[in-house]
Amino acid sequence: MNTFQGAPKEKKLTDTAIADSTAQKKTLKDLSIGEAAHIVDFFKENDAVKKIEAMGLRRGKRITIIQKLGRGIVVKISNSRIVITSDVAKNIEVE
Amino acid sequence: MTKSIKVALAGNPNVGKTTLLNHAAKTNLKVGNWAGVTVEKKEGFVSYRGYDIHFIDLPGIYTLEPISEDEWIAYNFIADEKPDVVVNVIETTNAERDLLLTTELLEFERPMIIALNMSDEAKKLGIEVDAEHVGELLDVPVIRTNGRNGDGVEEMLDKIVESAERPRYPRAPKYEEQLETLLDRIQTEGRDGRNDSGAHHDKLTKRALIKMLVDSDGRYEEKVRLEKLYKKGIDGIIKDERYAFARGLFDETFRKRKSRNRDITDKIDKIALHPILGFFVFLLVIFLLFKISFDFSTPFMNWTEGFIDNLLAPLALSLLSHVGAGKWLPQFFSQAIVGGVGFVITFVPLIGMIYFLLALLEMSGYMPRIAFVMDRFTHKLGLHGKGMIPLLLGFGCNVPAVMATRTLENRRDKFLVMAMIPFMSCPARLVVFSFFAVLFFPHPAVVIFGLYLLGIVIGLLTAFVLRKTAYRGKLSHFVMELPPYRVPRIRTVFQITWVQVKSFLYRAGTLIFAASVVIWVLLNTPPNLKNQSDSAAAYVGKAITPVLAPIGIKDWRISTSLIPAFLAREIVLSSMGTIYSVDIQQKTTEFHFVPALETQLNGLGEATKESLMSLLTPKIQTLQTEGGDQNLQNVIRSSFTPASALSFMIFLLLYTSCLATVAVMAREGGKKFALLFLAYSFVMAWGVAFVVYQVGSLI
Repeated sequence: MNTFQGAPKEKKLTDTAIADSTAQKKTLKDLSIGEAAHIVDFFKENDAVKKIEAMGLRRGKRITIIQKLGRGIVVKISNSRIVITSDVAKNIEVE
Repeated sequence: MTKSIKVALAGNPNVGKTTLLNHAAKTNLKVGNWAGVTVEKKEGFVSYRGYDIHFIDLPGIYTLEPISEDEWIAYNFIADEKPDVVVNVIETTNAERDLLLTTELLEFERPMIIALNMSDEAKKLGIEVDAEHVGELLDVPVIRTNGRNGDGVEEMLDKIVESAERPRYPRAPKYEEQLETLLDRIQTEGRDGRNDSGAHHDKLTKRALIKMLVDSDGRYEEKVRLEKLYKKGIDGIIKDERYAFARGLFDETFRKRKSRNRDITDKIDKIALHPILGFFVFLLVIFLLFKISFDFSTPFMNWTEGFIDNLLAPLALSLLSHVGAGKWLPQFFSQAIVGGVGFVITFVPLIGMIYFLLALLEMSGYMPRIAFVMDRFTHKLGLHGKGMIPLLLGFGCNVPAVMATRTLENRRDKFLVMAMIPFMSCPARLVVFSFFAVLFFPHPAVVIFGLYLLGIVIGLLTAFVLRKTAYRGKLSHFVMELPPYRVPRIRTVFQITWVQVKSFLYRAGTLIFAASVVIWVLLNTPPNLKNQSDSAAAYVGKAITPVLAPIGIKDWRISTSLIPAFLAREIVLSSMGTIYSVDIQQKTTEFHFVPALETQLNGLGEATKESLMSLLTPKIQTLQTEGGDQNLQNVIRSSFTPASALSFMIFLLLYTSCLATVAVMAREGGKKFALLFLAYSFVMAWGVAFVVYQVGSLI
């Protein structure tokens, strides 16, 4: 599917430090439409993460990707649907 | 004396708190703002079993660990105002998520009632809940409610009264053992030298203890040990404990069966969120919004106008002459009241319809989906998809649109959208456009559409310039919930529409009335003057005419009518009505009440038929093809050329000639921002109008 096009290509190189530590880890951003996974962990503990946790996206929860459009990702979690952008999704480890 | 009970309604967003409040309080609702902020505050009043129950609808929030403005409001209210009862509304289908807030509310140890809302919806999805067991575990009364039909609302009122008579305090949640021991220690330590703890007995609430623990720095070695053990800060540990408690409560009391009922929301979203189809759904929704609001209301607008001009005005005039009123009273009445206020009232059907449809759209759950579908395009322009909602609201009225920018958490995103909103043309401007466009152009609908488009282009241009200058920086991320689709409750939609129409009528009765009177007085000062152009109004108008002359506004009567138009744009026409009608000879005709009333009643039937018929045609019909004040049309025709009419409309489109919008912008973005923007919009309006007028005059 379409990836986030707004980010410059060099981004991956400048973020090598983070990329190294998370290279092998699959994030929510990597999932495709219709795919389901469990949330393992969050790489950061910022306000956005606190908010999505309160909204129900918590460790151990099973999520399904409903739609991806531009930078937006619609995630279904039990009976609610939450939109997050890919810059938040890349901080969520899934398996 | 009746006793009053203060009840806070707390819950996650979209759980149906407001609908429950509407059921309980019926029309006894008050909409306002929380002090100092523009977050909407809803209150309801119910007299029940000898008590005055005062409901306060807290903003929908996910957590009471406050970060956003909404969360702070809810937190402060519960912590400081200490409501007698907290009703925690839970959306049964999403209970696991909602129970986090419940857990946090329990820590406050206020008397509580849990309302399991929409349990019928949950049942369909195979979710069963043991309500009694929830009540036993938490020591809290638990009821089932249904927002759709109001089931359970009476039981809620009963429980509130019971709770007020015999306060029942919930059991605070129990957390990890070592954490509890530590909290106990703080409790015993703090027993001395304390007066107001907020607890019902001589003890601190769990919430207060937790706050003391989090703020204690290195005072407790157990805290340091715990943090080491869990490899995270104490706030992180507490957060995890809350989630664990909520999870445990959920597992204990809820059961999920496999259900064959597929969620309707998933089905609709297959289309509504589709990359291509979703865009067309959006276009269709917007098209219908405008088509229905314009075409459906036009016949009613024409009817209202006839009703005022052909029934109310002559009736009042004949009554006035009956009681032998002098010369100036009837004159004042027909010029200032009918010409000014009466004219604006004509637009009630249009405004009411727009508000009705926007409320319908919002309650259906589709609104946030617009943000998702459009973000793909808007984020490339550096704008947040969520900004689409305030911008669309702007077409209804700029004031609530500016208020809606609070859904944008990031300051930069918020200001960008706020600077675009005033260029979104509202019905007040449409009032003026439809009048002038019909008068001067063969294809008025094209002109009006062009003006709307021009507004959007100028808005985008403004955002572009701001992004390159004052608001550089990256577009922020976003997180939002897409609520399930629901069939809106029509009564609630009507209630919301009525509140808005009422405030419009109120403006017509106060601001617009005052402006009309002031103009009328200025026009007739000094008294007994022979020539209109010697009046005080003419003097003021003439003074500003040189500024407006380059854009084609050379007549003092037009520049004069622009002054009161700063109160609200639609006044421009009513003040023109007042100024020009002084020139017009009032024709007196015989008036008979009964046949006039009959004509009006028949007309209403015709208008209804015409409205319904217009919905069957696929295109948006021309606005007001005929109608409009014939007299005013004739005199205005002689004061404008097509070029100056167009330039006048553009000026009024772009210049933020609306006191209410400027006021709300000042409140949301600061005085400096609002005034700078006002000046900017004036310069922009003048510039574009100048170019259009000069080019138009050459053709």
